[in-house]
Amino acid sequence: MSAHAGSSHSVGHGPPIANQSSRVSASVLGMFLFIASEAMLFGAFFTAYFFVRVVNPEAQSWPLEPFHLPVFVAGVNTAILVTSSFTMHWALQSVKRGNRAGLQAGLVLTLLMGLAFLLTQMLEYARIGFNPGDGAFGTIFFGLTGLHGAHVFVGLTLLAVATVRAFRGHYTPEHHHGVEIPGIYWHFVDVMWIVVYATIYLI
Amino acid sequence: MTELVHSAYDSHHAPAVPPPRGLARLRAPGYLRAAWTTLLFWAFGFGLVAFFRWLAHYDPVVDWTIVTVVAFLTLAPLGFLTGIGAFDYWAYYVSGRPTRPEDHSSHGATSWKDYFRVNTDHKVIGVQYLVTTFFFFVIGGLMAMIFRAELAKPDLQFVDTQTFNGLISEHAALMIFLFIIPAFAGLANFAVPLMLGAPDMAFPRLNALSFWLLPIAGLMFLAAFLVPGGAFATGWTSYAPLASDQPLGQVFFNMGVQWAGASSIMTALNFLVTIITMRAPGMTFWRMPLLVWANFTTSLLVVIATPFIAGSQFFVMFDRIMHTNFFRVDEGGYALGYQHIFWFYSHPAVYIMMLPGFGIISEVIAVFSRKPIFGYRLMALSLMGILVLGFSVWAHHMFVAGMAPWLRVPMMVTSMIIAVPTGIKIFSWLATMWEGRIHLRTPMLFALGFLSMFVLGGLSGIFLASVPIDIAASDTYFIVAHIHYVLFGGSVFTIFAGVYYWFPKMTGRMYNERLGKLHFWLTFIGFNGTFFPMHWVGLQGMPRRVSDYSEQFGNWNMVVSLFSFLLGASTIIFFYNVIQSWHRGPIAPGNPWRALTLEWQVSSPPPVFNFDEIPQVVAGPYEYGIPGARHAVLNGGHAPVVADAVHEEARR
Repeated sequence: MSAHAGSSHSVGHGPPIANQSSRVSASVLGMFLFIASEAMLFGAFFTAYFFVRVVNPEAQSWPLEPFHLPVFVAGVNTAILVTSSFTMHWALQSVKRGNRAGLQAGLVLTLLMGLAFLLTQMLEYARIGFNPGDGAFGTIFFGLTGLHGAHVFVGLTLLAVATVRAFRGHYTPEHHHGVEIPGIYWHFVDVMWIVVYATIYLI
Repeated sequence: MTELVHSAYDSHHAPAVPPPRGLARLRAPGYLRAAWTTLLFWAFGFGLVAFFRWLAHYDPVVDWTIVTVVAFLTLAPLGFLTGIGAFDYWAYYVSGRPTRPEDHSSHGATSWKDYFRVNTDHKVIGVQYLVTTFFFFVIGGLMAMIFRAELAKPDLQFVDTQTFNGLISEHAALMIFLFIIPAFAGLANFAVPLMLGAPDMAFPRLNALSFWLLPIAGLMFLAAFLVPGGAFATGWTSYAPLASDQPLGQVFFNMGVQWAGASSIMTALNFLVTIITMRAPGMTFWRMPLLVWANFTTSLLVVIATPFIAGSQFFVMFDRIMHTNFFRVDEGGYALGYQHIFWFYSHPAVYIMMLPGFGIISEVIAVFSRKPIFGYRLMALSLMGILVLGFSVWAHHMFVAGMAPWLRVPMMVTSMIIAVPTGIKIFSWLATMWEGRIHLRTPMLFALGFLSMFVLGGLSGIFLASVPIDIAASDTYFIVAHIHYVLFGGSVFTIFAGVYYWFPKMTGRMYNERLGKLHFWLTFIGFNGTFFPMHWVGLQGMPRRVSDYSEQFGNWNMVVSLFSFLLGASTIIFFYNVIQSWHRGPIAPGNPWRALTLEWQVSSPPPVFNFDEIPQVVAGPYEYGIPGARHAVLNGGHAPVVADAVHEEARR
């Protein structure tokens, strides 16, 4: 059993090193599958949107009279979130090149922009003038943007952990899954917002 | 090799940390800590609801419906999970301290107590799943006994109508979400990493978490009986807008499904990553056992479809507690949308409840017929075919729901096309048995029972797929007969086949063959006596989900009820056999069935880390009847257990 001499403790032996049968790492693949599942959850909400707005023979006006949607403010918010995707990418490229300052700056900027997005969204909720009970329109609006807001919150939590660890120097050019995986999730949250913005505000 | 055989549990010990004493026990992961964290999280949830309602000037500040959803059904379970230690490692990571190397201290079981804590060993988790799911199987079965007693005669005898509806809804919810789906997950949890030649699942801690969500979901369903108004009573389909205006018990269904669904999704994700990234060298996709293929396709279904039922239950619950209008027609909602979203999950879900069973049957039939699986590649591809087609048939549940008429015929056609890949599988199993040396052991009996009963269920399925017959038979006992022929005669028979088949591997002991056969025959007779007459009373127009019925159906319902009690009693034999054999059955050899797949090439039960060295796979898994055939080489080329060479006594 000398093959396991390198195991971590003295009594017995640890598991054999598993064979890596794919070039994709397990955690990256896991995140992609999780995102597939998340995309389907959004799919369920978009299906509800589709039924309410398109299929329903008694569909109400969109936005429901007399309310209106702050298209411009949300557009600025969209720009903020899209920019944060680029800073996230910059952070990841920096850690790959061993640029710690770039990693830290990229993560902090991403975090700040994410926070700004979420804050704007909350202010928008407070001032928008209707609530989830105002027709199927209000329901779908708060349903989709709320679901997305929850995802932004999760993404920010992951990013906050990554940022703390980045400042403690836990990431190296070889080992940076802790940045890469929250990054993938963050890009997903951004792309999802563009779809939400387009369907709710623009169309 | 010697260590491999004898080292079931002794080659591994957790680091010698003394058990915590005194107040330290309140901080160590376990039930004691779970008790106060559950309370703490509950109080936090309660405070959260009260605070926000106070902030928004709502009256009253404490709304018990919302407190139920937030504090009882969301945060208290999270507190419990925190307490037993399901999040300990991640909490440590999130705290920002340097990662520590895995010490495997939560891996493996040395006593029965280890089965009651958070354990990362896929074999322990597999057993945890199976024991939990069979517990809920018994509860769900007892509910069926109660409402069959009620249905034995016309008029109401034992329960009122709302309780009756609650019982049938709970029965279905428990059997589907707490028995069939997770029992398959349990069997696969045990078998798949071993079959792949992997030391564990890809994410062992996630695996442990997914298991612990399950008892939470089950207890949530059961707790619905305790709230005012009784259990949810809208069937397992919980159609809106009916479900939005039911008593409080309904939210226990809405939330229980979320927990069970999250468990399913995380397990499926884990299986997919394990199967893709952790196969042993030489284990190409076309050398994987069909059980692995079956769980691969099932997991894809789960990951893609399950979020839809999560969505549908959220919508119904929001309509109740947040006064949204997803399905409220007078406010611009679209009621039929619920059924579309629900069935977009729940039709694929019937394949989630069947494909792993197909995998089990493929293993059992090849091994007990001593022949290679007929058409191995087509068997795998037909699974993929069912996966794809399964997403295109959901509206065949809605032929009478008032949906767009043009949607009917396409759904009818796709539903019938699904019979093609399923038929490929049935005929491949028959061809596998053709001229094989069939050993009628208990798993094989259940496999044959499955084949015959599933074909019957499939035939009534084809009837129901055609629009005119479905319109006539909708909401009658014909539907009940069909669903039980495919879910009991199909899925449950395969679960029994799988439990008997892997019982020696899981426990290291043989079950009692005579009792196993007795169990099969009583189940088979009880099953047919219960569900076959339902076809007739259904076609004569007896409606399902109604506690009272017309006098003319009285005789047949008495017959059905009597046979259903026989069916219930037959499981007592199963549990006696399992418990007795687990306790003191004869010691099982490593490979009692002379099977080639990898789980049988290690000791029974397997070593804590499955393999001393990762095996080298050299050929397909079903080369039975070929002298000297090997699927894999273990331990650097030392002779593995070769099929058809050892354990002559098993040839009986």
